[in-house]
Amino acid sequence: MNNIAFTVALPLLAAFLLPIISNSSKSAARFIGPFVLLAMLGFSLAYFNMLEHPVAIALGGFRPPLGITFHLDNLSLLMASIIPLIMLVLWPYANIEGYREESLLLLLAGSASGLALSGDLFNIYVFYELLSVASFGLAAANRTGAAFAATFRYLVMSGLGTVLALTGIGLIYTQTGTLNLAHIGLLASQLNNPAGLSAFALIVIGIGVKAEIFPVNGWVPEVYSTASPRISALLAGLISKLAVLVIVRLLVVAYQGPEALTLLLVLGMLGIIWGELSAWRSKDLKRMLSFSSIGQLGMVLVAFSIPGEAGMVAGIAMMLHHLVVKPGLFMLTEHWNGSLNKLAGAAKSSPLAAVLFMLFALSLIGVPPFPGFWAKLLLVTGLVEANTPLYLTALAVLLSATVIEAHYLMHTAIRMYSKGKKKQVKKLHQTPFTLTIISVFAVVLITALITMAPLGNKLQHIAAESSDRALYINTTFAARHTPVRKQISLIKQQSKVQ
Amino acid sequence: MNQLDTLLLISLITALISGLGRRHQLIGWATAILLTVQFLALLSISSLGYGGTVIESAVNLTILGQPLSWRFDGLSWFFALITIGAAMASSFFAAGIWAKKYKKHGGNPGLLQFAMSLNVFTMLVLLASGDLLSLFIGWELVSWASLLLMVLAGGIATQWGLRYIVYATAGAMSILAGIGIIYHLTGSFAYADLAAAASTFSTTHVVVLSLLFIAGFGVKMGLLPFHLWQAGAYAETPGPGSAFLGAISSRMGLYAMLIVVFQLIGLGKMIAVEIPFTFLSLRDLLMWVAAFTIIFPTYTALRQNDARYLLAWHGIGQGGYMMMGLLLLDPVGSAGGLLHVFNYATNQAALFLAITAVVYRTHTADLNRLGGLVNRMPLTFLVLLVGIIGLAGIPPMNGFVSKWLIYRSLIIEGMPLLFVATVIGTLGTILSVYKLIHNTFLGQLRLEHEHIREVPWSMLAPMLVVATIIFITGFMPGLVLDWVASAQAALGFTPLAYTLGGVETARGSLDMIWLCGVLFGGFGVGALLFYGGGNKAKRVHQLDNYAGGHFLTADTRYHYSNNFYAGLMHHIGGWYRGTFKWLESSLISIVSLLSGLTQILFHSYHPALFLLITATLSLYFFIG
Amino acid sequence: MQVTLLTIMEVILMPIVAFIIGLFMVLMMRKLAARLQRRVGPPLFQPLFDIVKLYGKQTQISHGMIHDIGIIMAVGGYVAAEALLPVPGMDGIAAKGGLITLAYLTMVPSLGLALGVGQCANPNGSIGISRALTSMLAYDIPFIIVIFGVAYQFSSTNLVDIIATQQAGGFSTWGISEMPVLAVAGLFAMHASLGKQPFEIYIAPAEIATGPMVEMGGKFLGGLFVMQSFQLYTASVLYVSLFLGGGENWITFLLKSFGVLAIPVVIAYLFPRYRTDDLVRLVWKWPVMLALIGIAFVMN
Repeated sequence: MNNIAFTVALPLLAAFLLPIISNSSKSAARFIGPFVLLAMLGFSLAYFNMLEHPVAIALGGFRPPLGITFHLDNLSLLMASIIPLIMLVLWPYANIEGYREESLLLLLAGSASGLALSGDLFNIYVFYELLSVASFGLAAANRTGAAFAATFRYLVMSGLGTVLALTGIGLIYTQTGTLNLAHIGLLASQLNNPAGLSAFALIVIGIGVKAEIFPVNGWVPEVYSTASPRISALLAGLISKLAVLVIVRLLVVAYQGPEALTLLLVLGMLGIIWGELSAWRSKDLKRMLSFSSIGQLGMVLVAFSIPGEAGMVAGIAMMLHHLVVKPGLFMLTEHWNGSLNKLAGAAKSSPLAAVLFMLFALSLIGVPPFPGFWAKLLLVTGLVEANTPLYLTALAVLLSATVIEAHYLMHTAIRMYSKGKKKQVKKLHQTPFTLTIISVFAVVLITALITMAPLGNKLQHIAAESSDRALYINTTFAARHTPVRKQISLIKQQSKVQ
Repeated sequence: MNQLDTLLLISLITALISGLGRRHQLIGWATAILLTVQFLALLSISSLGYGGTVIESAVNLTILGQPLSWRFDGLSWFFALITIGAAMASSFFAAGIWAKKYKKHGGNPGLLQFAMSLNVFTMLVLLASGDLLSLFIGWELVSWASLLLMVLAGGIATQWGLRYIVYATAGAMSILAGIGIIYHLTGSFAYADLAAAASTFSTTHVVVLSLLFIAGFGVKMGLLPFHLWQAGAYAETPGPGSAFLGAISSRMGLYAMLIVVFQLIGLGKMIAVEIPFTFLSLRDLLMWVAAFTIIFPTYTALRQNDARYLLAWHGIGQGGYMMMGLLLLDPVGSAGGLLHVFNYATNQAALFLAITAVVYRTHTADLNRLGGLVNRMPLTFLVLLVGIIGLAGIPPMNGFVSKWLIYRSLIIEGMPLLFVATVIGTLGTILSVYKLIHNTFLGQLRLEHEHIREVPWSMLAPMLVVATIIFITGFMPGLVLDWVASAQAALGFTPLAYTLGGVETARGSLDMIWLCGVLFGGFGVGALLFYGGGNKAKRVHQLDNYAGGHFLTADTRYHYSNNFYAGLMHHIGGWYRGTFKWLESSLISIVSLLSGLTQILFHSYHPALFLLITATLSLYFFIG
Repeated sequence: MQVTLLTIMEVILMPIVAFIIGLFMVLMMRKLAARLQRRVGPPLFQPLFDIVKLYGKQTQISHGMIHDIGIIMAVGGYVAAEALLPVPGMDGIAAKGGLITLAYLTMVPSLGLALGVGQCANPNGSIGISRALTSMLAYDIPFIIVIFGVAYQFSSTNLVDIIATQQAGGFSTWGISEMPVLAVAGLFAMHASLGKQPFEIYIAPAEIATGPMVEMGGKFLGGLFVMQSFQLYTASVLYVSLFLGGGENWITFLLKSFGVLAIPVVIAYLFPRYRTDDLVRLVWKWPVMLALIGIAFVMN
């Protein structure tokens, strides 16, 4: 049953061994990465298939709340399967010489899996730190001056964020005496005070650096526009979601009060406004996409701030949608970088790429019947159901932002379809390799569109499960002694009353 | 798989075939023929146009727990008839020789046909929608499909397309918000639930919902103040495309508004809502919006010097008549509004096709560069003449009948100011369509147009067919009033009591058969007097005329369009203030300013500072 | 069938009657003008002679098909309009058209004329038409308010009903005593619609060489002459039907019609002309204001 730990251990091990293997056999080093990722995928999918109800796994034999706990439910396993999948798609197959990037990517994969699966705050913190280190290295992998400057910016913010998050975690520990999420959930009532809420705020802002939360996302445009598109795609698509996932877990188990939700809602709203407005004004595709990603993450945050299952389903839908669309868009900048004005004629030189851009853009705007529409619909109905002035304001912000989004995305599309200078147009040719990668995301999107009905059911199932606080706690403490059980049944009653 | 499914399937197949085969030479004809097949499929359910019961589609989906359904009733059928008819006319027009020239000038006629058939398909999906969710899906499909048609021409057209899509998205978001609120209130997207729950809505909800929906659907209709995008977007579409768009595209807004606002939320409630500090109810306010939608765009059209823009601006204005008629809520007025949808579509299709024919020969639609074409293109002139008489609402063409119904209803309801407003619109239309026909077909023929010929039959035939329809439905409005009555019944209005020739009521009837008979009898008398009496007239060259002592030569160009109505403009010219443009540009400025401010954050050298500030603020939020 | 046959007879007769009365109206207009200018004026059959003369001209200059059709429409439109205008003993198809239809039908001749002039390609003609259509826009607004008021007052758009109501109630139910303000506005609008001084800027012989008429000679001008007599007839009879109770019999009918027409004609020959923009301002100010006040009375 503990095989799932391999999804963390294998890539970490491989990451450290890769330099050594690379010294002896370069070709072996080339194959090891994809192989490990495939193995990860195999393990997580196997668990995904087997899973009937959430399971908690105590590693190292210690029982919760003492040991290292992995919490396996549909959401965490879904993320754990997506990590190797997306890595496989974005893997630098063409890179023959170095092993540095591969090694960092494996490190990223391992820590990301850990982050997705972990059931206690300390591990989350450790994996988060590992993830940060890996992402710094990847962001600077280009080795250009601009990339270093951007990474430095990223590093400073991320470092500060980590300090804040650690403070928050510390505060929680002082309040509850535990770092196990389920246990924290049991003791949630002790966190419903200024100290507990401050801890939440500190963690949100700290982790929010990676989740591109406003206003601690100052690094985003710089890093995304200097790093290679693959890395930007990875950071924007995957890593930001994992950071959000941590916040969501915390939210579900311990912070269902209105204050915490309000904080998320306000930050999300500001993120939407800031991101979309900046994107509207940006002059090159990469920056535009990074700003848009800030806006999208704002929407995800707004979605999760809706209380109850409605928020969870909207949030997960938005999250997954962005996870598919944004990497696809970022990959387009492989050859379509620089000023937006230079994109004139892009459609002539790579018609398929332009069509794919339109596809992603339409889904991002939320045009039916594309998946983005359904996600947005869930968000809208959720916001209206919440029905307080603040949530309705968020709805207004969301809808206005969509208009702005439509404007800049279509403006770009129209540039692509306009006539360009011949010399310029030649440079805009997308290589078949990049196109294949982008097409993979497009195929996923279209498959989602076709299978929307069953997918929606699955999504609702996942959301129901992961928004169930009692279930989360119960999973971990299933075999514990009676007092805890009583508490659990008490919580169940409470949630029923709610 | 019933007849409705067959229709939708054929429509989808049409779009697919014309999309896949868009490079093939014969795709134009194929699309046109497939559209004809669609038309036949539509005729197979023509019972809907004669009071038949609703046809439900066999396709049912459930997504995210929400059922989606589609169905057709009398109203959908009526709009679908116009849609497919307009598409057929445009498609046949574009299929033949026109396509060759279009291709030679760098266009892709197959793509145009594809865009049109895609538009037809999406429109049918919208018309068939059976709940709010499928309505919204259909709505967005239509919006984006028409964007494709609008940007085909490239260049300036793309800018208009962009403007359109921003307006359309704003409208769609407004609708989405409205649908969300309804979902909150009723717990479902079904029409029936909304209709049942609507009576329990509070006044605030009624007002908010009505405004959201009217603004949202109004964008597509070009209702003031959301009209700025429309003229350019329609005018810059390649000829047959603009005929199609002009004829029907905006009416989708009307259709959706009829379903949601008139039928489901219920306009009756809007009469009850008084606007504070005025004498107006919400309905009165909307009627005034409709009145200004008639007047402003019509008088803007009067100032246009490009034939396509002139027509497109009229399209916006004519939408106001439909809205006005339907808002009157009585059998006569609502019949007038619905009938005008049909009549206007035929007029606009004829006019745009005729102008496209002119452009085909002369390569310009600039009224300052045309003139005197009547001897060169007499049949096109005839089509344009029929079209403008219809558009201006003068007997004996069909446009008169629908406007008559609206005037009549305004008199019955006792609304003098609105009546005057509509008539002012009609007078403005007369002035501006005269300018149109005068500056293209009458007046001085330019030297470079000396040798042009009539357009080929492949283009003439659809134009003449449409013109014939305009005349016949003017002569016997009862043919269309059949369908209008079914549409009225589907909407829950009392159907109009009509005759083949028009309307027969106790105190004011209209019988177009008699009227046309007398009018043509009169023309016959006039012709008898003219041709019978006096010597035979001698044809002279057009330059052989009296110009107050000057000799006119072909080099002297005195044919003008700019400031054509100098006396009028001297007086009302100052009233054109561009207020709406100013509103629009100030909105853009605000967004631009804000976005400038937001970027400052990201340009800052000390982003970490924000982190600390935020942390402090949120701690303050929780502790303080 | 009997009814239809009778109607057809009436429809044929009514324009003929109208034409004859119209000719006399032209005569009256010219006589009045002469008297005001201390001249003798033309003899009884002068209008008819004029028409015959114009038709008999040896050279008839046409600028094309539309030029001809314009004249046909100008005459034919009025011929048709007369069938909608009840006279004593004959209703024609007044019940099948009504007031609004009549108002729009009288635009057909103007449009026909405009088309015809357009083809002449004479700048003076085009300017004239531009001015004529502008003044149509000007006077039609008060005119249409008046029509609304009357239709609302009698709650009918059927001229037969309107006349019958007035005649049944006697003078006190006449439009002019029920709606005096509207009646004044209506007179004003009618005057402007006739295109006589001071509202004849679109003819302006001195500057645009008679505007729309510049290329008209021979039977073209003859057609316009016929049109003018119809126009005078239509305007005055419509006014009589709306405000003066129509004609109880032929004598009162003729008296009223000629009497009404005399007012604008007298004014016309006493005043100089207005510029187009002045005309728009004048007509939009006074008659519109009057008409709106009138409506306010009617609506209450």
